[in-house]
Amino acid sequence: MEFGEESSPALAFDKDAFELTVEDVYDISYVIGRDLLKISSKGEEVSDLQFRIVRVLEMFETLVNKYNLSLEELKMERDNLKSELDRILQERSSGQGAQTAGPNQLLVDLTDPNRPRFTMQELKEVLQERNQLKAQLMVAQEELQLYRSGILPQAEPAMVEVDLDTPAHTEHRRATISDAKEEKTTIGKLFSFRRK
Amino acid sequence: MAKKTYDLLFKLLLIGDSGVGKTCVLFRFSDDAFNTTFISTIGIDFKIKTVELQGKKIKLQIWDTAGQERFHTITTSYYRGAMGIMLVYDITNAKSFENISKWLRNIDEHANEDVERMLLGNKCDMEDKRVVPKAKGEQIAKEHGIRFFETSAKANVSIEKAFLTLAEDILRKTPVKEPNSENVDISSGGGVTGWKSKCCS
Repeated sequence: MEFGEESSPALAFDKDAFELTVEDVYDISYVIGRDLLKISSKGEEVSDLQFRIVRVLEMFETLVNKYNLSLEELKMERDNLKSELDRILQERSSGQGAQTAGPNQLLVDLTDPNRPRFTMQELKEVLQERNQLKAQLMVAQEELQLYRSGILPQAEPAMVEVDLDTPAHTEHRRATISDAKEEKTTIGKLFSFRRK
Repeated sequence: MAKKTYDLLFKLLLIGDSGVGKTCVLFRFSDDAFNTTFISTIGIDFKIKTVELQGKKIKLQIWDTAGQERFHTITTSYYRGAMGIMLVYDITNAKSFENISKWLRNIDEHANEDVERMLLGNKCDMEDKRVVPKAKGEQIAKEHGIRFFETSAKANVSIEKAFLTLAEDILRKTPVKEPNSENVDISSGGGVTGWKSKCCS
């Protein structure tokens, strides 16, 4: 017990200078103080030296203390920066899309039911088809109107084809439209004749 | 067989910023109605109205374009086929007036050289919210040598007059001969082939 107590403070002398703690400094002070005590018992002249040694040991204590505190601060600072870096890296990998979109690019939220899906070309085609059908509907409505009002005969598909080939006859036909019903049989004959 | 219910076919086009009332102007003219709910036009739409001018039945096919920038590639492809273009701004919206020069440039770039142009300052019923003086509209129209009307689709001010005037201006330039009869092609520059179906071409 006594051996251990005596030998352990002396171990501080074997330590690396940068690994010394304040406790080690106290151990060193203890050992040096004990050794000084042995010397001073032999004469008076060591008391000045004793004060100087105490002063040096105090300075040593301050330096070791300061060094360790600075080291601790730096370690904390390093750990903080490390966790900050981890956090940023995490954010970056989770929101990868956000990082890759350039100034002229649009982000699309794939869970948004109203997200853009179709190309301009597709829209163009749909609109063209819509407008085409609308135009055809209007033509059909006009025709229906004419049929209903009895201006045109009920079924004369032949007339369509005749008209296609002979635009010169439109004048003629328009006249019949505005004229009377009784003419339509004549016209019908005329057109079915022309068809042959 | 409904063909030749008209003598001439004029294709008109409405352009201008989003929300200035192009669709409402057209709706007032074609259906004599007005709707306050704003529904943004998707790309391009059209309406038909037959009018009678100088004893001629003139079928107006009026293309209504979306003002929103994102539809411009679609809408500009319809400029080419237009014989008359109505450029509409909103008298309560300064930006829509500032953009007139941009729209005029679009016409220069995409429309036929001899296209008949007209400027409309719409929403003139909202006098309390007016930010564009009538004189400014008149001035810019004069600078570009085009006609100008202040209109209101809501209050039905000058709508019919504007369309009829534009149609008259086109009619004046139209050769007196009968149009190519049945073969009038109403398809747009964008390649819409509607109307060319067998029954009516």
